[in-house]
Amino acid sequence: MKLIHKLEPLWWILFGAGGFTAGFFLPALILGVLILAPLGALGDGLSYDRAHMLASSLPGKVFLAAVLTLVLWHCAHHLRHFALDLGGHALAPIAAFASYGLALAGTIATLVIVGSL
Amino acid sequence: MSAQAPTAEKTRTAAPRPPAGFPFRFYRYRNYVVFAATSVFMALGCVGLLEALYALGRGEEAWKEFLANMAKPHNLVLSLVVLGFTLYFVLRFAWVGRKIAAGRIGPIPRPPLPMPLLGVAPIGGFLTLWLILLAILAGVLP
Repeated sequence: MKLIHKLEPLWWILFGAGGFTAGFFLPALILGVLILAPLGALGDGLSYDRAHMLASSLPGKVFLAAVLTLVLWHCAHHLRHFALDLGGHALAPIAAFASYGLALAGTIATLVIVGSL
Repeated sequence: MSAQAPTAEKTRTAAPRPPAGFPFRFYRYRNYVVFAATSVFMALGCVGLLEALYALGRGEEAWKEFLANMAKPHNLVLSLVVLGFTLYFVLRFAWVGRKIAAGRIGPIPRPPLPMPLLGVAPIGGFLTLWLILLAILAGVLP
């Protein structure tokens, strides 16, 4: 836990950056990719060729990796502190390691998936 | 003996405890809990987007299969719930902007704008970015 506390500024930076990133981009990505594209409402905008071209370009990869990883770290930090609200300090170690562990796993998965496009 | 050594025992404080009625009894607590829950749904949204990218990396058939799967009613409902929680997060997040903007920084005077306008401005900025991003996804913008 000492390391977790020592890195507290880093967690808050990731939390703030993730919050802004979520505000800027997440609703449009969810609406476009998870709702409108499956309904066919985007026409050929997200046809396989165009979607692959957008996601596999260098700006696309950087954008997607940044948005997904930052939002995941934001969520992890928020949930860690909410777990403290609910369970008090008894939950501190498990909340920290579980939330940040999941965010780290999500980050690695994002970098692998985006990197392989 | 070092000059840095403590000379008296540390002041003991009571163990932290949640306020009475937490987490659902009062509307402010409930709002706080819903705001915390947004993180679960936003993380789910990220997982959905990662699934989309994974399908994209596996080829055209996998991408079409992903879209068909996401078009099923239960997945659409889940996506709408995820979007709803994400929008709730963004609105609350942006609404804080009016308080930040109303602060006075050193000699710089406060912006001479009413508080609600300071709250609407960040939301307008977010909305503009969403429209641009949706236009790119729809192929309207390159």
